[in-house]
Amino acid sequence: MAVSVYTTKTCPWCKKIKEFFKENKVKFKEIDVTSNQAKGKDMIEKSGQTGVPVTDVNGTIIVGFDEAKLRKALKLK
Amino acid sequence: MDKHDFDILIIGAGGVGMAAAMYSARLGMKTIVFGTSSGKELPVGGVITTTNVVENYPGFIRLTGEEIAKKIEDHAKDYDLVTIKEEKVKDIKKQKKSFTVKTNKGTYKAAAIIFATGTKWRKLDIPGSEEFENKGVNYCALCDAPLFKNKVVSLVGGSDSAAKDALVLAEHAKKVYIIYRGEQIRPEPINMERVNANKKIEIINNTNIKEIKGDKLVEEVILDKTYKGKNSLKVDAVFVAIGHIALSDLAKKIGVKVDKKGEIKIDHKDSATNVKGVFAAGDVTDKPFKQLITGVADGCTAAYSAFEYITKNKVQVC
Repeated sequence: MAVSVYTTKTCPWCKKIKEFFKENKVKFKEIDVTSNQAKGKDMIEKSGQTGVPVTDVNGTIIVGFDEAKLRKALKLK
Repeated sequence: MDKHDFDILIIGAGGVGMAAAMYSARLGMKTIVFGTSSGKELPVGGVITTTNVVENYPGFIRLTGEEIAKKIEDHAKDYDLVTIKEEKVKDIKKQKKSFTVKTNKGTYKAAAIIFATGTKWRKLDIPGSEEFENKGVNYCALCDAPLFKNKVVSLVGGSDSAAKDALVLAEHAKKVYIIYRGEQIRPEPINMERVNANKKIEIINNTNIKEIKGDKLVEEVILDKTYKGKNSLKVDAVFVAIGHIALSDLAKKIGVKVDKKGEIKIDHKDSATNVKGVFAAGDVTDKPFKQLITGVADGCTAAYSAFEYITKNKVQVC
């Protein structure tokens, strides 16, 4: 399962979502858009959203740290 | 007292709740704290985690909101009597001399309750504000400012938080308009000086945004007054810092009185509410000066008052 999460260094929810992935042993790729404008633009184009975190689970986009939606997309209990 | 799982149950895991937990444990109280980071809640650590720099907490000249939240959380965790759970409180009931709290994962019983539930962001309510939420209408400047590198952004509000948000935005954007309905923005003087000294920030007083327009993302705001010959501004974002709403619905369920703003009415001497065994502290209360430092102090007072309520004892502290 391909999981990537767009973050900024200063976003508290981004840290919580990464803790959630680690606690649930979910392998993920972090894309820090703090100083990478091109990746930030990618995120906005892909999600239509201008707020982090944004998670991409096999093409399913989840905005914010929404544990219920993440569990469903990741097939976690 | 009825049989219960915990002496003191604290709802809210921000700095205030954690400080109350630390002090409860010092007083020998078995304590549990509930908070959640998922969904639309402010994360564990509380609203201070969305503040860039904290410079008004004695003992720490300057550190980030997240750093101080972590220090306060770690301080609470240093006591074995403190349990912290990332669970959302769904319901609360009062029995004769105890309280039952239901979360999304379990049911807990305690002798006393401290509400440290804080606030949520007040939403901007104008045409386009909901349609473009997270599509240029953003509430967390600290989180999302980097996405507006070299863009033109606006910020609605005039408080100290608004000024600090504008300063964060100016680290990334090429232009920041502060749009404020009143005669003059009113941050702490130290932040007013910083705003005035920042060449990227321009303040538009006595003005409201009437409407937010765009296609997929925000492109323009319509003003209710002419500014520099126009009644609109081309902007890539509208950040909102127009205050907070107290999260007091749970407290109201057990008869706790709130004021017309929805803030829990407490005795400012001992943080007690009108309901026996129920205390409150921090931004959710009717205390007017809302800072981490004042909330933390009230959290400790609430813990002490809860201890007195449960044990009928007083501690000789000085």
